Amino acid sequence: MAAGVAAWLPFARAAAIGWMPVAGAPMPVPPPGKHRRQEGLIMLNVSGTKFQTWRDTLERYPDTLLGSTERDFFFHEETNEYFFDRDPDIFRHILNFYRTGKLHYPRQECISAYDEELAFFGIIPEIIGDCCYEEYKDRRRENQERIQDDEDMDQTNDLVAADLSFRETMWRAFENPHTSTMALVFYYVTGFFIAVSVLANVVETVPCGPGPNRVKEVSCGDRYALAFFCLDTACVMIFTVEYLLRLLAAPSRYKFVKSVMSIIDVVAIMPYYIGLVMTDNEDVSGAFVTLRVFRVFRIFKFSRHSAGLRILGYTLKSCASELGFLLFSLTMAIIIFATVMFYAEKGSSASKFTSIPAAFWYTIVTMTTLGYGDMVPKTIMGKIFGSVCSLSGVLVIALPVPVIVSNFSRIYHQSQRAEKRRAQKKTRLARIHAVKSGGANAYLQYKQSRLLIDLDEEASKEAGQALVCKANPGFEVHHHHLLHCLEKTTNHEFVDEKTYEASYRDVTLVNQVSHSSSTSSTSSPHGLSSCCSRRKRKTFNVPNSNMSVGLQGSIQELSTIQIRDRPFTNSRSSRSSLNAKFEETVPLNCDQSYITAAVISMPTPPGTTPEGDDSTSSTNYSQANIVRVSAL
Amino acid sequence: MGALMVIFSLQPKQRSKTRDSVEDELELSAVRHRPEGLEQLEAQTRFSRKELQILYRGFKNECPSGVVNEETFKDIYSQFFPQGDASTYAHFLFNAFDTDHNGSVSFEDFVMGLSILLRGTIQEKLNWAFNLYDINKDGYITKEEMLDIMKAIYDMMGKCTYPVLKEETPRQHVEVFFQKMDKNKDGVVTIDEFIDCCQNDENIMRSMHLFENVL
Repeated sequence: MAAGVAAWLPFARAAAIGWMPVAGAPMPVPPPGKHRRQEGLIMLNVSGTKFQTWRDTLERYPDTLLGSTERDFFFHEETNEYFFDRDPDIFRHILNFYRTGKLHYPRQECISAYDEELAFFGIIPEIIGDCCYEEYKDRRRENQERIQDDEDMDQTNDLVAADLSFRETMWRAFENPHTSTMALVFYYVTGFFIAVSVLANVVETVPCGPGPNRVKEVSCGDRYALAFFCLDTACVMIFTVEYLLRLLAAPSRYKFVKSVMSIIDVVAIMPYYIGLVMTDNEDVSGAFVTLRVFRVFRIFKFSRHSAGLRILGYTLKSCASELGFLLFSLTMAIIIFATVMFYAEKGSSASKFTSIPAAFWYTIVTMTTLGYGDMVPKTIMGKIFGSVCSLSGVLVIALPVPVIVSNFSRIYHQSQRAEKRRAQKKTRLARIHAVKSGGANAYLQYKQSRLLIDLDEEASKEAGQALVCKANPGFEVHHHHLLHCLEKTTNHEFVDEKTYEASYRDVTLVNQVSHSSSTSSTSSPHGLSSCCSRRKRKTFNVPNSNMSVGLQGSIQELSTIQIRDRPFTNSRSSRSSLNAKFEETVPLNCDQSYITAAVISMPTPPGTTPEGDDSTSSTNYSQANIVRVSAL
Repeated sequence: MGALMVIFSLQPKQRSKTRDSVEDELELSAVRHRPEGLEQLEAQTRFSRKELQILYRGFKNECPSGVVNEETFKDIYSQFFPQGDASTYAHFLFNAFDTDHNGSVSFEDFVMGLSILLRGTIQEKLNWAFNLYDINKDGYITKEEMLDIMKAIYDMMGKCTYPVLKEETPRQHVEVFFQKMDKNKDGVVTIDEFIDCCQNDENIMRSMHLFENVL
């Protein structure tokens, strides 16, 4: 029931008195009258913009946030008002909904921001008034298409070759040639052969000069029959192989066989095989010639290679109704005018308009403004109707064309937008990544400076003061503390990219030199490979005071050795190397043992028997090896 | 093709006519009615200032032009009875509220009617009910008038009732009503007969007080 009508409920109830004298039975007891509800104004403070309204206005819609007791959660005692930390511009429309009963959608607002506000205040968007509903739905659909495109892109890009079976890899290679060089090569090779095949079809009909034993001209196809046959065979071989491979790789063979592209493929190669089967058979040679026409369908195979062609095909499919209308109206007009012309020209002698179907040709040629001139009206009536015919032809054809054009333009721009967004996405992600890593770097810097302070009191006094001046209070401090807690929990520390790279290089070196033996960890390959599949790269590099090694055996051990040695060789003055600091601070402020875990992106790190490992640290170890810190 | 063009050229003339009528309608609805002052209404009705304020706000919200015409009245009333057809009864109600019979219910009419219904004496309420039933306002309720009213009331019930509504149910109800009300059996019910009979009926008396706490 419309809420405005709720204001008339007292009237409806009062008017019920009109039934009383007529009623035969006693009336039910009325519900208890509402205790004097506070009639008054409500103050709504939305991010500083104050709105006021009657309490009753809000309570018109009791199933929304403002109309129900849910708003009590936002009541601010100190100022005796309801405070909402939301967008005041959009709130204006929401409040107007309570006042007028109609929800409007402002065109200049972002559709997702608006949707969020509606969801927050518990209003369903379906009650948007008719004046704004269409616009709202259009924008929403557009937005969803955009998001859908992005998601599709993500999905296709996220899958990595290692996860897929051979069949799936092949299918991906076929669908997206950019994924691997093999796919690209295949793509270009098939494209080349399609072109060659079409060209051969065209050229073999060109007259090539007189044949070896004849006088009259023969076509190139007849003259160099063998060459063309070989070329044709080669092309068909390639196409057949391609088709079979696609059929093999398709996730749903049935769906693949039904698809348009596969039908085109089949139609392209069938004539050849049929021709092979029935050579030298006089009766069907005529049909055989017809079959050769189907070879031209090979040109449609290019649509896999060209997005524009696909868009054109898609447009035609989506404009099917307009095209149908065009065809229908043209047919109607052709029949009408052909009849008229026939009867108009019937009188004149030697007229070419021998029958109505014969006049069809004239009508078509005239309506499309071709005007070949092979059939021309000679009587005056014929000429009059002929001119009307040509004028109307222009109109009838001009009408549906803009619709088709606009459809094509919309679809084309959509695909362009998808391409653009994909390109922009990479730069956007890179920039976001940089900002995030800025945050991580901040933590590392903070640690550096913190250690500096601990280290060298005097020297770092200025640095400390600088730190104090620079330190961002509040969020940053708590965030750093949080990361520090994590470090302590896992007994690993965050390092930056350089140190990690360096340690990794050393580890590989050492690995080549020394052997690793005995128990290899079973859990690591899987864990590490799953880590590898994530795009984020994280590194741990923590110095080890004692040589406890966990499950991930030798690599870590070796890296431990290596890392422990390295800091001492590094100059103390180099502040960039965190390891130096760690080593120096280890005696100062670590009581517990850190465990080195240089997480390496090698899938199967061999392990060694742990020698005197901490039971506590080993468990941390396995977790730690999975966890990686983003340094970039 | 030429014929089509001729037809198309004829169309605009008709459309301009309809556009004019639409504009006329808009002008009509721009009529504004402002009610009398608050003090006067306070004096004439039994509502307090605050109650009048609340009533007016609700009224003005639904009818910004200040008057309700019969269509809007029917719409509003029908929304309370979605199962059935309340338009006939709303028509009678409208006539009952429209005391000056000018085809529209202004705020004064509305508030006067409500004042009687909610705050009036029993006499006044019964008077009002009689006025409602007496469709041609001649001072007598005939069986036909009563039948109309009864049918209108039963129409509001709609089709899906239990027990199922039969054709003669309103008529039977009217018979019962007339047996009770028509003392001298002359086929019509006068105002005195009506008031007398109602005052002697306990159910009716009790139900008259039912909606006193509505506002």
